[in-house]
Amino acid sequence: MKEALGVIELVIFPGFLFLSWLALYFEWVDRKFYAKLQYRYGPLHTGPKGFLQPFADFVKLLAKEDIVPAAVDRFLFTLTPIMMLALSFYALFYIPIVPIVRDVAFGAFEGDLILVIFVLTIIGFLKFLAGWGSTNRFSAVGAVRTAFQLLGYEIPLAVALLTAAMGAGTLNISLIAQKISTDAILASALLPALAISVICFQAELERIPFDIPEAEQEIVAGWLTEFSGRRLALFRFATDVELTLAAALMAALFLGGPYGPAIPVIPVQVSYFLWFMFKTTVLVLVLANIRTLFARLRIDQMVHFSWRYLIVAAVAEAVFIQALLAMGVIA
Amino acid sequence: MAMESELAGAAVRKPVTLKYPFERRDVPPRFRGRLAWDAEKCVGCGMCVQVCPAFALEMVGKGPMAELRYYLNRCVFCSQCVESCPRDALSMTEEYELADYKHKVYEFKRG
Amino acid sequence: MLEESERAIFEVPIGPQHPALKEPILLLFKIEGDTIVDVMARPAYTHRGVEKATEARNYIQNIYLCERVCGICSCIHTLVYTQGVEKLADVEPPPRAKYIRVIMSELERIHSHTLWLGVAAHELGFDTLFYYVWRDRELVMDLLELISGNRVNYAMSTVGGVRRDISDAVAHQIKKGMEILRKRLDVYTEVVEKEPTLRKRVIDVGKLSPHDAVALCAVGPTLRMTGVKRDVRADDPYQAYDEIPFNVATYDTGDVLAQIIVRVVETYEAANIIDYAIDHMPSGPIKVKVPWNIAPNEIITRGEAPRGELFYYFKSNGTEKPERVKIRTPTLGNIPAVCEMLKGYHIAEIPIVFAGIDPCLSCTARFAFIDERKGKSWVWSGDQLRTYRRKYYKRYGR
Repeated sequence: MKEALGVIELVIFPGFLFLSWLALYFEWVDRKFYAKLQYRYGPLHTGPKGFLQPFADFVKLLAKEDIVPAAVDRFLFTLTPIMMLALSFYALFYIPIVPIVRDVAFGAFEGDLILVIFVLTIIGFLKFLAGWGSTNRFSAVGAVRTAFQLLGYEIPLAVALLTAAMGAGTLNISLIAQKISTDAILASALLPALAISVICFQAELERIPFDIPEAEQEIVAGWLTEFSGRRLALFRFATDVELTLAAALMAALFLGGPYGPAIPVIPVQVSYFLWFMFKTTVLVLVLANIRTLFARLRIDQMVHFSWRYLIVAAVAEAVFIQALLAMGVIA
Repeated sequence: MAMESELAGAAVRKPVTLKYPFERRDVPPRFRGRLAWDAEKCVGCGMCVQVCPAFALEMVGKGPMAELRYYLNRCVFCSQCVESCPRDALSMTEEYELADYKHKVYEFKRG
Repeated sequence: MLEESERAIFEVPIGPQHPALKEPILLLFKIEGDTIVDVMARPAYTHRGVEKATEARNYIQNIYLCERVCGICSCIHTLVYTQGVEKLADVEPPPRAKYIRVIMSELERIHSHTLWLGVAAHELGFDTLFYYVWRDRELVMDLLELISGNRVNYAMSTVGGVRRDISDAVAHQIKKGMEILRKRLDVYTEVVEKEPTLRKRVIDVGKLSPHDAVALCAVGPTLRMTGVKRDVRADDPYQAYDEIPFNVATYDTGDVLAQIIVRVVETYEAANIIDYAIDHMPSGPIKVKVPWNIAPNEIITRGEAPRGELFYYFKSNGTEKPERVKIRTPTLGNIPAVCEMLKGYHIAEIPIVFAGIDPCLSCTARFAFIDERKGKSWVWSGDQLRTYRRKYYKRYGR
């Protein structure tokens, strides 16, 4: 029985199938809200309110011709899209989404936060490899920019995420989430860290104002330039999964993830689902709103900004949490 | 962040996009669409053919009984023929969805 | 300083097909690290033979041909063309026609400048501003549609006057539209003044000194953003501009921010001009008759297009067709200047600096031969072209 539930948890809910649906749903939310803020409709005709449009785009790209230019590194060209998708999914299994068997995430163990941070870095690095292996001028410029950007957001992101672990006194994401959901003081003390990680994830996901590595007007599609067909479909899907990862991770670390005050009448698993969807959707809306507000920065301005302000803010927040711990305000 | 107040307006108002094939805008009063020909008034002077910048008009036959051939694909909808016509035999309709796979030729006939 | 061969210089081609460019041009950049060392521009991917085609059409037909030289400045092209033909035939258009032409060309300036502001925002990756500006641009497009019937090719000017009158009701609507436009412009001025990410990308980027601007024959807002006060409307007034008071917008920093400010101020000025012109529009006929055949004559004429000085040369030979029409569009004058503006900046700044001059490349394509190695340039006559064609088809078949 336990094994059967485990398989369901891995494959169906909240496994691959649900996560894939979630990724496409978040892309839809993102596009729809972004369009709404710009007086547009966004996806409209495929499915109700264009809900199936991200899926239709994915299927369409799968059917398109997959061109492999003669000069590319074929190994990297094939490996990177698969690895990126696989790693994004992999990291999601350590994040409490809707725990149905035990009260924690599928792969939860003490220290999984470190693993997820590591995977986030590897994803950034894969983007660099994908661009570098394309041997295209625009791809190369985009790849170098990705690497530069990684230098910029990597440290503040890790510090901000670890601040939550410091506050909760554990490195297990699920336990952090449980602790945050019951401790309002800790949750409010961590809000600056949430703001920092929202900015850093905007950079990780390469969205305005940090869409520098794939700046369309400057370097065509940056590190993605040479990809087409199936590979591009995988990359785009991986980006959606990454968005899900970002939203779910931030929801877990700073907002308590699926855990929250019990809603009367309905079973606890359903309340997990509702809390999770609510928190992550709000985070995706915030990410989409940031996208509408700014012009794209230049790469040196981005690195400058993150070393001068973001890192300082992240470290200050960590010191602040430590001080609260020392004073015994939070336990 | 300077646009945040503007965005708040967008969140509550309807998008400005027209769902084109389902929603259409009204055609303005002076709109220049496909050409129409009034056989009663035409005297076959050929003025329209002379002024047409796109060579979209052609007289078939000569004299007062001449008929007009209109190459829709060449027409640039400047309406100069309408203006130059001494008898007001030509006019611009409000038809504008004229894209076609074929080169359309209208044979304006008398009677 | 290292020798040319030792420095790590690599070439990045932008164009002829590139997302930053709305029209084809090749910009070949020599890049060292991330800095632009040199740039070579190659326009003329869209040579359409407009000047040659004018010789095969009569003066009336050519109005509509010249209207289609540019997709955005379709009013100013017909205005300068008809102004030239009137000068050739020595006819004076009625005063009301002059005012209507001014109103149309100023509405067009508003539409072009707001279009540019949207494109500039898009090149900076600021898509929200782009959508908002273009939404409000529809206001002017609707007014133009109301006056002329169509959105893009207005077909308003004709030889000897204008083709359509502006009624009082429409004039009232235009004035109301200008009120709304001013309010919207206030919002965008505030965004440009306050948005830090936008300002970071435009201040001290793509700088041009006044001396260079004049030496490289820059025209229009590209010249005025360096502080040089030069505008055909003020310096050589045509149509009704000598009767209408207005300020020539200038700014002195000579960077992309200056381009934005000059264009926004010009948009305000255009709204003022339109208001003044509507209030002071004389009544009377809108058109006079011009002879079909025009006696041999030779003139030049010019006007201020949204992008700068637009220049036409005419030669008539006594028939109903011109012997020669030469068009110089403003973008051609701005290309040497933009090559200078790009030097020393980063790859990331190519789109905004190049879009800064508001390039309109399809109007720019002219036919000339340049031999880089020998440093020679020449132009072919029609006969040489015909000979070449004959030889070409003999060799390669039809």
